[in-house]
Amino acid sequence: MIPYAAMSATTEVPGAFRHAAGEQGPISLVREGITDIRSRQRLVRYLTTADMHKRGADTLLGNIWWVLDPLLQMLVYLIFVTIITNQQVPGYPLFIFAAILPWKWFTASVGDAATSVVSQGNLIKQIAFPKLVLPVSAVTSGVVGFAFGLIPLLGLMVFFQDRISPYLLFLPVIAAVQFVFTIGIAFLVAAGNVFFRDLGNVLRHVLRLWWFLSPGLYSLSKLDSLGIFQAHPALKTILMLNPFAVLFEAYHAVIYGTTNPPGPPTMPNLLSLGILFVVSLFLIAFGTYVFKRLEPNFAKVL
Amino acid sequence: MTAVAVDEPPPIARDGRPHAIRTEDLGVKYDLRFTKKTTISRSLGDILGRGSKKDFWALKGVSLKVVHGESLAVIGPNGAGKSTLLQVLAGIIKPSAGVVDVRGHVSGLLTLGAGFDTELSGRDNILLGGAFLGLDDHVTRELMPSIVEYADLGEFIDTPLKTYSSGMRARLGFAIATSVNPDILLLDEVLATGDATFREKSKARVIEIVKAAKAVVLVTHDMSWVTEYCNRAILIEHGRVVAEGEPADVVELHRVHTEEAKAAKLAAAKAAGLDSAVIAPR
Repeated sequence: MIPYAAMSATTEVPGAFRHAAGEQGPISLVREGITDIRSRQRLVRYLTTADMHKRGADTLLGNIWWVLDPLLQMLVYLIFVTIITNQQVPGYPLFIFAAILPWKWFTASVGDAATSVVSQGNLIKQIAFPKLVLPVSAVTSGVVGFAFGLIPLLGLMVFFQDRISPYLLFLPVIAAVQFVFTIGIAFLVAAGNVFFRDLGNVLRHVLRLWWFLSPGLYSLSKLDSLGIFQAHPALKTILMLNPFAVLFEAYHAVIYGTTNPPGPPTMPNLLSLGILFVVSLFLIAFGTYVFKRLEPNFAKVL
Repeated sequence: MTAVAVDEPPPIARDGRPHAIRTEDLGVKYDLRFTKKTTISRSLGDILGRGSKKDFWALKGVSLKVVHGESLAVIGPNGAGKSTLLQVLAGIIKPSAGVVDVRGHVSGLLTLGAGFDTELSGRDNILLGGAFLGLDDHVTRELMPSIVEYADLGEFIDTPLKTYSSGMRARLGFAIATSVNPDILLLDEVLATGDATFREKSKARVIEIVKAAKAVVLVTHDMSWVTEYCNRAILIEHGRVVAEGEPADVVELHRVHTEEAKAAKLAAAKAAGLDSAVIAPR
């Protein structure tokens, strides 16, 4: 016979609950969401390590595609931009790599988050647990992949040693802002995918468009020379509202440097990063509200 | 440990006892527009088009009370809302109407044998399962050897769950789910899995937990369980409680209703000019 643990020994599961019909207000839902995650940190940790274990992401070999993929993608854009459109930018490989890596991190995390709830349908119908832990752990396990992706970045920097600067220390700060922004998006897509199973298809195209509209392959200052932006200066303001405009410009600043005029790595724009951080917090709050609002229906729909 | 002697549970004075579970005018509504695997393309038409509400009440007006020390059987035909009721009591589904009030840690053995993650090893599944149940880390690790032994998986415990036979998965799922000792136990057709040997073993185990738990709600089609281990029963039909009381009386009413439904179906089939032999069940 198994000696079993008294369930009252559990610290993470509430010992009583009362559910009444009716809707909660946004603030109480968000507050509940925060408690959900804080009280189940260990579950998040287990789900994250289980996810990495599964993908072999705790070994270098399991992460080989995090190393190769950005490099190969860089090669494609390199061929396209420098040979076909015949533009010469000094140190261009480093320039585009600085954007490809965080973008791969973002798309991978959002993609995993989108399926995080749907793929656990069986469990959701069997056990009561806060479903918010699913997208959180999906995004968290993406961090490890990103960390491995920094290896080829370091390798690349060997060829551009003149660009190694103390500003690289800002990388974790920029990544942290991106992480917070990603969480907010993750909540929305994770909940949305439960009700619209073809969200993944839509997402793929939205993300592709987003990538090309973001200054990853080009710098924002380059746009000034284009006719359409000279005629409509408002367009550039709109482009700069894009969170990834802020993020890519910051990554470029600390890894590559400035393009116009060409210069060594500098401080990232901390003000815009700070604004993005605050906006992302609001996005998380909104995402939590939407997620918690839809959560009671998950078990019925899945 | 094959045969377990179980005493008849004593009758309970309900008045004045603290309740473990109480529901009041409980209702659960399904919006049929969203219960099928919906897509954006299809839903746009549905939502923008006729705003016709397609609601289905799986449960309606259910008021019940389970006091500490009581074990309640929920019986009724397929699709009556029994499993939905358990999901509400487990906190998995929130009511669309009314109130559910649960005092105590709930553990549900709703559909067993699913395991947690087929890509992970049995050992990792135990850890993950413990985290889902909210067990403290050291508690799960302490329980690990006994769970492994009970599930009797041998060397398979370190291979991914996807290599397991369905019986092995059932054993592991059962061992994980019963590793906690809850205040309130919800059981949904738990004894339907596994081979004969394991069924015996699991039955003994369930009886042990039933005796330890403060309150039990059991969904089953096995009427001998109802009369043997429960001291109260409710009959649910079409989402409503149609009878409540002594297990033997409720079981009898359920039998009568089933016969009537069968007879009605036969009569309808005959009226439609069909061969009754084709329609008659069994």
